[in-house]
Amino acid sequence: MSDDDLDTIAPHSTFDDDTTTTATTTATAEDTKPTKPHITWCDSYTKAQATIESLSSILPNIPQSLISSETPATSLLDDPEIAREFSRLLRQPNSGLGDNNLCRWLYDTFQTNQPALQLVVLRFLPILAGVYLSRASLHKPLAGFEAVLLALYAHETTSRNGQAITVSIPDISHSSIYHETTKQISKNVSTELNIAVICPSLEPHGTVRSTRRARIVGVALELYYSKISQMPVDSKIEFCEFCKIWAGENGDVYSAMEVLEEGNREKEKEGSKEGRINLPWEILQPILRILGHCLMGPEKNNKELSKAACDACRSLYARCLHDLNPKAILATGSLLKLAKMASELNDEDDHTEIAQTNVISL
Amino acid sequence: MSESESEELGQPEIDPSVRQVCANGICMHTTIVEAKLDEGNIQEAESALREGLSLNFEEARALLGRLEYQRGNVEGALRVFDGIDLQAAIQRMQPLAEKPPSKKGRSRSDSVHAVSQHAASLVLEAVYLKAKSLQKLGRLNEAAQECKSVLDAVEKIFYDGIPDVLVDNKLQETVSHAVELLPELWKQAGCNSEAMSAYRRALLSQWNLDNDCCARIQKAFAVFLLYSGVEVGPPSLAVQIDGSYVPRNNLEESILLFMILMRKYYLGKIKWDPSIVEHLNFALSLCGQTSVLAKQLEEVMPGVIHRIDRWKTLALCHSGAGQNKIALNLLRKSLHRHEDPDDILSLLLASKICSEDTFLAAEGVEYAQRAIANSSGLNEHLKGVGLRVLGLCLGNQAKVSSSDFERFRLQSEALRSLDSAVALEKENTDLILELGVQYAEHRNLNAALRYAKQYIDATGGSVLKGWRLLALVLSAQQRYSEAVVVIDAALDETAKWDQGPLLRMKAKLQISQSLHTDAIETYRYLLALVQAQRKSYGPLKVVLQAEDDKVSEYEVWHGLANLYSSLSHWKDAEICLGKARVLIEFSAETLHTEGLMHEKRGEFREALSAYTNALLLEPSYVPCKILVGALLCKMGPKMLPVARTLLSDALRIEPTNRLAWYHLGLVHRDDGRIADAVDCFQAASMLEESDPVESFSSIL
Repeated sequence: MSDDDLDTIAPHSTFDDDTTTTATTTATAEDTKPTKPHITWCDSYTKAQATIESLSSILPNIPQSLISSETPATSLLDDPEIAREFSRLLRQPNSGLGDNNLCRWLYDTFQTNQPALQLVVLRFLPILAGVYLSRASLHKPLAGFEAVLLALYAHETTSRNGQAITVSIPDISHSSIYHETTKQISKNVSTELNIAVICPSLEPHGTVRSTRRARIVGVALELYYSKISQMPVDSKIEFCEFCKIWAGENGDVYSAMEVLEEGNREKEKEGSKEGRINLPWEILQPILRILGHCLMGPEKNNKELSKAACDACRSLYARCLHDLNPKAILATGSLLKLAKMASELNDEDDHTEIAQTNVISL
Repeated sequence: MSESESEELGQPEIDPSVRQVCANGICMHTTIVEAKLDEGNIQEAESALREGLSLNFEEARALLGRLEYQRGNVEGALRVFDGIDLQAAIQRMQPLAEKPPSKKGRSRSDSVHAVSQHAASLVLEAVYLKAKSLQKLGRLNEAAQECKSVLDAVEKIFYDGIPDVLVDNKLQETVSHAVELLPELWKQAGCNSEAMSAYRRALLSQWNLDNDCCARIQKAFAVFLLYSGVEVGPPSLAVQIDGSYVPRNNLEESILLFMILMRKYYLGKIKWDPSIVEHLNFALSLCGQTSVLAKQLEEVMPGVIHRIDRWKTLALCHSGAGQNKIALNLLRKSLHRHEDPDDILSLLLASKICSEDTFLAAEGVEYAQRAIANSSGLNEHLKGVGLRVLGLCLGNQAKVSSSDFERFRLQSEALRSLDSAVALEKENTDLILELGVQYAEHRNLNAALRYAKQYIDATGGSVLKGWRLLALVLSAQQRYSEAVVVIDAALDETAKWDQGPLLRMKAKLQISQSLHTDAIETYRYLLALVQAQRKSYGPLKVVLQAEDDKVSEYEVWHGLANLYSSLSHWKDAEICLGKARVLIEFSAETLHTEGLMHEKRGEFREALSAYTNALLLEPSYVPCKILVGALLCKMGPKMLPVARTLLSDALRIEPTNRLAWYHLGLVHRDDGRIADAVDCFQAASMLEESDPVESFSSIL
């Protein structure tokens, strides 16, 4: 293999040097915010306006409602027309180039350090990461996408101070705040908690090295998850659709878990496995958390979302079976069973309703 | 209350099929009242009630509101409730709790409580129904405020918590309802942080909730914590009891709650809810703590989860936690012919586990074949997986087979099986890598090279293993400088902490090219890296891609010792060996190097004893077997049979060991078996061209 080949495998981002420095300013800007709310409001309003105006270089016509909006950042987040246009542009064949206007806009918008505007960028992360990961092995320059992803990664690295996220698994033989017995347990029992590393400590990255690609995208997805309650449903649906593509397996056979043993096989579509990617745990874990939210979160009654999430979950389950990855089989299998239980218990008893009697007494 | 109840029961004219209102021992049908309400005339309806049942204004209103609510006329109910000054009524009740119940004169204090509780119950139910009515009208924020005021009032009235025994049933019911409703309302209103604190208030204050209600709230809260994606900080310091566990984030809190719910079930406090175990399953697998999950599942009473399902899930848990032996034992149980012998997932997993151990490989072959036989219908898409694990098992089985013929047969079968797997799953990159390794082990280096390149292409160079395989194959083809180029490219794509295995390989490549100074430099750099890694990370170290193949400090010292000894720098070599010995006191590798040094200096007796010691430590340590054989061979014709045995044994373990073939050839020659000697030398010379710097199997 010649050096040229290797270069094409490893596209380097063009404007990566400033990511770490700007990310540092992010943190300071957020720190000062609570003390001067008034000024920040004005500031964020003008910045959001400016961001919308700068869209004119990308989109031929910006919706009037957006220009005149009093809450420009929120309108931008929820605007369906913008979403449609962005989605189309991001999926174009040359969308990830270093000089791509939309990528630059997303990058600049994220670097305004306005939380509301950063949400707008995150809203498009599913498409961006989806297109990026599926294209990463195709030897195409993707510096534009990478710049945005690195900005998200740098933001998360600074806000976590590079620290790992850990969870100590409780041991319920020791008392906790939710234990009913108030019985005191001798204090010198050394509690050996199982510490689980949800996300290991982060080191700064100025470029996307190919062996770190999954990690960087994974951290960006963690950032997405942390804001997921503010994301529009469409963004989550797009995410679920990409999960199916990444999984590269058709999960239709698991659409009814209980008939697994029976032989009525559905027709399997072949050849639609383009875009299948490697799914190491560092990327699969945030994917599963996001899917869990889509399936069981506050919007679980949204038909379109829950269908997309179920489909994605089934595809991933099939994929995890192919990879024989026990942890992932357990997690996706549980989600599938939970979704099935939820669909069977559609009209659950409302326990907060009073007893209906014909004899009403005081 | 109890008195009036018994009187009511005594009333003969109660007919449960007709709606009626009862109070003060009198019952009346609601037809007239309802008619007045339908006309929109609340006042008249109210006075009808007051007269009919001799009630005061508030009582009548409360009854009317309830009637309207039950009739489904929530707007009407709201109108009725608006007429009562509920806040004032609550105010009036507050002194209630200030009289502590004295032990003497209990009956008197009881009756005081009964009367006040009756009033409280009436008012609070009215507020609660108002909240429910608002909820039904979609005015969620207002509903939540009303509901909250019920709880605030209860807290004011019973500031020591609700007494267990003294409380009126109806009051308790209203309180429980309100406690359960409030977080739901905030959730529906989209106020996540309010919902969170409402849940905590429900669970951490004394509301005297019954087990079912409490469990429902705990479950709803745990689900909210696990899936809502809202992070609202840990419970406040105020609720923390000394010495008890306080969760620090959503995930911990939700896991804690699910575990408590599981325990409540074991204690018989609540009914089995299969969704709880699935939620816990999801949460713990996300954290990678499947061993904890296994413990939870083991605690479930027999008969709740079907034993086969439990074995299967437990096997997944143990396998996920790296305890493959336990997992395999469980799978053997569930695959027993009386249990579920055709379950494809169990078969595949069992086969996969077996494929990682050469001595289990034959068992794995059987599982894989059964899996393939069962991959029809819904499971047809898993056929490729079956073929893949079959190939892996066969490849490993080949390594321990006793005859050349058998080995060759197994290896070819392994390749055939992997080839047909790849035909089914063209886009499965893992499979491509495995094929590459299998071909390399079969010494079909051109095919191996092709697959290694294909793997790097398909993964975009994102997996370290691909780079290493490519470099190894190139090294086996003795294209060392190209191999170094590959390693350098891989180093470029790798963050510092992942570079260990690459640097180790680079040093070995440089030694092969006789670039000894460069190799020493590389080893030095590697040593610094390994030492820094050891120091900078405690238990929370970075999870490396190459975690399973981390370079140990021992390896570096040993490598350096070998290098110095090959350069006859005895002193340096001794120092490095000393360092290595500090890390691992007794090791065949160290003794091996020691022996080599003795041998090079002509100290054959010492060398022989070092080799023998190494073999005592590790009876199947091939390099020393060969060296002992070679030494014995030089000791005269009497020793030749012993040498031959040792070398044949070495070849049984490592059939592709070039040195073993070479020395065996020497033995044959000295013994006068020229034809055998020629065969051995031929094998040795063929293998020389295909010896990688590290073993191919180290990749997988």
